[in-house]
Amino acid sequence: MNFLAASIESLGAKLAGWFTVGYGMFSFFTSASLLLLDRTTWNHATFDVVVKQVYFTAVQILHVFLAYSLVISWLIISIILSTARDFGLTAFASEMTIRVLVLELLPFLTALFVALRSGSAINTEVALMQVNNELDALAHCKVPPMQFEFLPRLIGGVISVVALAGLAGLSALMLAYLTIYGMSMAGFEPFTQTIAKIFDFRIVAGLLVKCALFGLAVTLIPVTAGLETPKKLFMVPVSVLRGMMRVFFAIVAIEVVSLALKYI
Amino acid sequence: MAAVAALSDDAARVALDLPLRANLSAVDNIALIPLYQRHYGVAESARQAQAVLDQLGHADIAPLRDPDMTPAQRFVTKLARALILKRPRLVIDRPGAMLYDVPYPAFIQQLAGRDGMSGIWEIFDFSWNQALYIQALNTE
Repeated sequence: MNFLAASIESLGAKLAGWFTVGYGMFSFFTSASLLLLDRTTWNHATFDVVVKQVYFTAVQILHVFLAYSLVISWLIISIILSTARDFGLTAFASEMTIRVLVLELLPFLTALFVALRSGSAINTEVALMQVNNELDALAHCKVPPMQFEFLPRLIGGVISVVALAGLAGLSALMLAYLTIYGMSMAGFEPFTQTIAKIFDFRIVAGLLVKCALFGLAVTLIPVTAGLETPKKLFMVPVSVLRGMMRVFFAIVAIEVVSLALKYI
Repeated sequence: MAAVAALSDDAARVALDLPLRANLSAVDNIALIPLYQRHYGVAESARQAQAVLDQLGHADIAPLRDPDMTPAQRFVTKLARALILKRPRLVIDRPGAMLYDVPYPAFIQQLAGRDGMSGIWEIFDFSWNQALYIQALNTE
């Protein structure tokens, strides 16, 4: 009986914890969105920090990211092409490549890449700011932390993931054409027709929304996890661990929901 | 020290528990105030911040970030940030906790005596440190 009561109590505590975390994220997202709509937010200072964030999140890693996405794209394209040849389905190779790579795998990998590189850094930085009282110091100086620290990171994350996923998708399309048809222009018409057939308005809008949600997940969750950190230095690694686990689950959940909406 | 914590918004505090942003240079930390409170441009805010550091005689610390500063340089940056807030009161809260590398009553006195410094700087310190202030005043 005691075991049952303890289990129920533990389950209840976990549920309450999840609810608190979810509510915290929702409330943070709401205040960030409201601030985004406020005309006074859009001053030189905020714009400069957004540009810096996009630079640190997307531009600084561009060469590494492009090399990584090209290698993965080339491998996946080769696997799809050889499998399609084995089964006599060469005609569908380009469509399969686009669907698997451009619509699903590359945005997912982009989100993971940005989460591991920038999300973890954001989580650590916000947690350290919280522990070291830097947020209190900003509040004392009437410098709004949301406007100066958090909102630019959210906007930067969304822009970076959308741009990097778009760039990776475009380079994968070019690579797919070169792998399937070589340097010849003979395949240009069927290839572009396949692209046009797949990328209708619904798919493009879905892809954009998915990438934007990925971008939001890899920034919003680390920021809120950092803000939850108790003011004890040894809690920083715990905060990063929790934040990154949440980011991973959120990315997987977004991908699963997107696949379910598209194919079920 | 509860009195310090209860200070209203009209006091600009220099305190150990109000640190600088660790990833910003001294000048950027100070420039945040004109940038976000008075909506000046980035260049003008940096110019104003540099001017306060010049006034305090520590122009050379402008590019340093918090971890690269000595305690005295960190204190000067915090003081510059408090000065640029332009609040009616300036409160230095337990300077001994921040200025452990210099004889601090004399150091603060020297900063307060620089050209262009106005207003009253209030120092909140432990009563057992009173002798240090008396000593600094007598030396003068």
